[in-house]
This record gives sequence, structure tokens and C-alpha cells, in this order.
Amino acid sequence: MAAIETAQRPVVRKPIDWWRWAGRVFLTFLMLFTVLPMAWMILTSVKSQFAAMQYPPQWWPSEPTLNNYFKLLDPTNRIGREFLRYFWNSFYVSLLTTILGVVVAVPAAYAFSRFRFPGRTFLFFSVLVRNMFPAVVFLMPLFLLMRWMGLVNTHGSLILTYLTFGLPLSIWLLKGFYDNIPIQLEQAARIDGATRFQAFILIVMPLSSPGIIATSIFSFIGAWNEYVYAYTFLSRDDQMTLPVGIQRFFTEFATDWPGLMSATFLMSVPVVVLFLVLQKYFVRALTEGAVKH
Amino acid sequence: MSIATQQAASPPATGTVQKRSGFLSRIVAHRTDYLYVLPALIVMLVVIAYPIYYTIELSFFRTPPNLQMRDKVWTGIDNYVRVLSSPVFHEVTIQTIIWTLASTVISFLLGLGAALSLHREFVGRGLMRALLLIPYVISAVAASYVWKWLYHSDFGVIGAISVQLGITAEPINFLDNRQTVLASLIVVNIWKEFSFAMVMLMAGLQTVPDQLLRAAQVDGANTWNRFWHVTFPHLKGVSMVTVLLLMVANFNSFIIPFVMTGGGPADASHIWITHIYQLAFGRQQWGVASAYAVILFIVMMFLGYFYVKALTRGDEARA
Repeated sequence: MAAIETAQRPVVRKPIDWWRWAGRVFLTFLMLFTVLPMAWMILTSVKSQFAAMQYPPQWWPSEPTLNNYFKLLDPTNRIGREFLRYFWNSFYVSLLTTILGVVVAVPAAYAFSRFRFPGRTFLFFSVLVRNMFPAVVFLMPLFLLMRWMGLVNTHGSLILTYLTFGLPLSIWLLKGFYDNIPIQLEQAARIDGATRFQAFILIVMPLSSPGIIATSIFSFIGAWNEYVYAYTFLSRDDQMTLPVGIQRFFTEFATDWPGLMSATFLMSVPVVVLFLVLQKYFVRALTEGAVKH
Repeated sequence: MSIATQQAASPPATGTVQKRSGFLSRIVAHRTDYLYVLPALIVMLVVIAYPIYYTIELSFFRTPPNLQMRDKVWTGIDNYVRVLSSPVFHEVTIQTIIWTLASTVISFLLGLGAALSLHREFVGRGLMRALLLIPYVISAVAASYVWKWLYHSDFGVIGAISVQLGITAEPINFLDNRQTVLASLIVVNIWKEFSFAMVMLMAGLQTVPDQLLRAAQVDGANTWNRFWHVTFPHLKGVSMVTVLLLMVANFNSFIIPFVMTGGGPADASHIWITHIYQLAFGRQQWGVASAYAVILFIVMMFLGYFYVKALTRGDEARA
């Protein structure tokens, strides 16, 4: 992705480049469209409930307050306790899904990239096409399966079902990264006497760590944001993950919009931070496969 | 991708290919290869192959509302008839098509515009790209709540702005109105996903050779002609994959309609997925919902076929 940073040589030198101006105007419009809703979320989250429910609205909060955030992060009251609990559940489920998914996907992706065993193409494309099916059509049989396995209302049911989308995606992404590692390196190791497995562990694994990081971020964000399975499989309050949890405790009574906006903000912070820090990898994972390098 | 293609052409370094032997002996020769994919295959069998099989089976049965599947009754293609002949199905199908096409086309065009505008180096470009990507990264649940608040019928900021600017006399009730609800949800969906198209096309723009653009300029081509005759042909492959992925994602979206309106008012914002969910978990009609899901499978298989074709297009050309 370093290539994205390389400058395009300025190709046009005319008095006024209308296309360039059109581009600027368009970008300004897009930025407003993207940023204003997020800005309004943050502005609302620092208002009191009274200030938020006014017409016409207070464009700028007259008495900004962090009370909504304090309430959510304070383990001594009920709302704070539940919110922190959901936060922890989300984190723990996403982390386990990611680790399990990557451990299973790494050897599979490597085999799809390097070996030519019969049925390889068919298997690989069935992995790929799985990505296209929505969670909802798997819900009914998986619900029965989880009931049969006694996993309804456990995090195990979430981790197992999150693999239905996490695993195919991880295999697909990782295969793209393995394809870009020169096979000559392994050939050299084999000539020096390494077994095929040793070449994989000692040569390919270290080189593919960017790929593994990218895949892990992707898988973590996917699990963190997942809603359908969690909504269907969990009914016990203390098991909920964030996307389902915040819905539950804000619609019980009259909706507390500033509270909901601050909960939404806090829920988005981990994925946005993860994305900003590892943006390079995230973008690479997103475009891997579609763009031939 | 290109490396994999070269490997396929030259003899593979690992494992041996025995050209004359049959399928079975090739499997035996490659038996250790399967160890690498085995864990993945087992997981996939349990959580993917089995559900698909079971959905197809259920689609031929009438299921009891208490979900004790022992008591299900064979009804042949009755469920399919019920789905296809229901008026709600037709209404929801039209909404699904509008939702999928409008979201895909507009997201793609906005993404293309953004990618072209961001292609040139300028101060703050990285920051802009990052900001534009944030809606794509955050949860659709978060996006739904934020927009539900923006659209709020009494205290929503969009309604207030339109009154202040004199566009409407009163705040518009976006989500409780059959005429505006689908369009309002499509806006949220576009907000959430156009930057995906942007990132894909930005990566695609990297593959356009600089020399060609300069050569075209020397030959006197203007900005539009350079885009249409040089840049765009190079983007064709990426564009195809992007459009297909957007279509699949939109066709499969669930969270935005489900969280924001639950398909209402009066089914006006239902799409296939939310409708299936409602049939299965709202009305406990699992047989009907399964038949619906099988129809959806078939549509997805078509899209999947084009997706695989779009992805392998380059490989075939080179091989």
C-alpha cells in the first residue's frame, strides 16, 4: 500500500482547471455528508436530556456535560455496570473469534496458495461463495444446532457462528498475502534441508505477519460489530454484547437520546482506534484480491 | 494473484504431480496437503454445509410453532407456492431491488468521485481518507441509532434544518411515512458504505500507468478524454468486483432496516432478509421462511457465479 502514498505528477498546468475545482467541491460535500452526522452524535452526547429534547435544537450545547459518559463508565450504578459488562463480553467474544479463526485459517490459506491437491479450486471457491450468503439464512438451522449442543445463551454459540463469516474471509485474505510471498524462499529452504512444514513455519510465517495482522483486524471488527446472531442466540442480560446490549437498556423506558449517543460513541471508539492505528493493513485487506499487484 | 498463476504454469515446488494417474491416486499422493485444510473444512461443514442442507429440507415441511422439529409435516412445495403467491412477497421484492440497485449505483459513483478527487497528493489527504472510512468501520447498529436520531420526527436535526431553511413548513417524519422511509434508509446505507468503493477504486487507480496518462496529454487529450480512454478502462476489473461486492452486501443488509424501522411502517421498508427474519423469528413460520431462504440462495448463486468470474478473469487471460 506504500504505492498509494506516491505522488501523482501534476499533469495539468492551465490557468483554471475546472475538473480540479469540481473535485474539491465534491470532496467538501462528501466530507460534510460523512462528518456532520458523527459530529451531531458527539454534540448530542454532551448535552443533558433536557437540552437535547428542544425544538429548534441547540446547535451548540449551552451547558456541555460529560455526565452521560460518567454514568456509562461508573460501575457503581446499574447502567454503568451493565454497559461495562457488555463491553467486556464484546471484547472477549471478538478476541476469541479472531484467535480461533486465524489459527484455523492460516494453514488452510497456505495450502490453497501453495499446494495443488485435487478439489482445491472447488473447495476454495466454495469458501469464497460462502461470503455471499447472509447470516439470516443460516440462523434457523444454527439455532437448532446450538439448542441441540446446549449452547444457546452462551458465548460459545457466538464464537462458533462468527466463524461462519470470519473463517472464509480470513482464508480468502490470507491466501492473497501468501500468493505475494515469493515461492523461491521456500524452495531455498527446502534445498537447505528443511521439511515442507519447517519451511512454512520458519520462512513463510514471519513474512506473512502483516497479512495476519490485517486479517485479525478485519475479523475482530467484524465480530465486534456483529448483531444478528447475538440478537437471536442471547436472551440473558449478562451475556449480551454491545450492539444488542445498548438496544436493550435504552428502549425499556423513554429513550434517553444523549445517553444512547454516548453509548454509541463509546462502542465505536475501539474499532475506530484499531482502524486508525492499523489503517495501512486494513486498506490492504479490503482491496486484497480485487486489485492485481 | 499473478504469482499463483505463474506457479500453476511452472511445475509446483511442493508436492509432486503425477499426470498419468487417476483422481484417487492423486488424492493419495497429496494426502498431507489435506491436513492443512482439514480443521477449516470441519468447521465449515458444521456451520455452513449442514445449515444449507437443513434449510433446504425444512423448506418442504410445515413446522410447528414451538419449534419441536420432530413434529414437522411434509407438505411438498406448498411453502414455495405460499411465498411466491403472496402479495407481500411481490412488494418486498420490488423494495429489495430498489434498495439494492439505488444503494449500489450511488455508493459506487460517490466512491469513484472520491477516489478520483483523492488521487492527487495534497495536504490532509490521508486524514480525509481516514475520516471518510470511519462510517464503514463502525457498527451498522451505531450508524442506525445516529441516523434515527438525525431523522427524529420531533427533535431531529434534519427536520429542524429543513424548517429553518424554509424547505418545509414542519419537520418531516422520515421514518413513519411509507413514501419516504425506503429512501431515508438508502441514504444511511450509502453513508455507511460508499467509502468501501472509494478504497477499492483508489487501489485500482494505482494500477493506471503514469506514462500512458502523460502520453495522452502530450497527444492533446483533455481531462475527460484521459479519464474515459485511459483511466477508466484500467479500472474496469476493480469496478466489476466492487459493484458485485456492493450488490451482495446491499442485498444481504439486515441491520439498518431492522434496527431503524423493523420493516415498517406497514412493510414499506422490508427487504428480503428482514422479511425472512420476521417470518422465522416473529411468526415462527420456519418452513415458509426456509423456502424463502432457498429462493434467496438461488439468486445468490447467480451473483456468486459472476463474482467468481470477475475475480478469475485476469488469471484466465494470462494462463
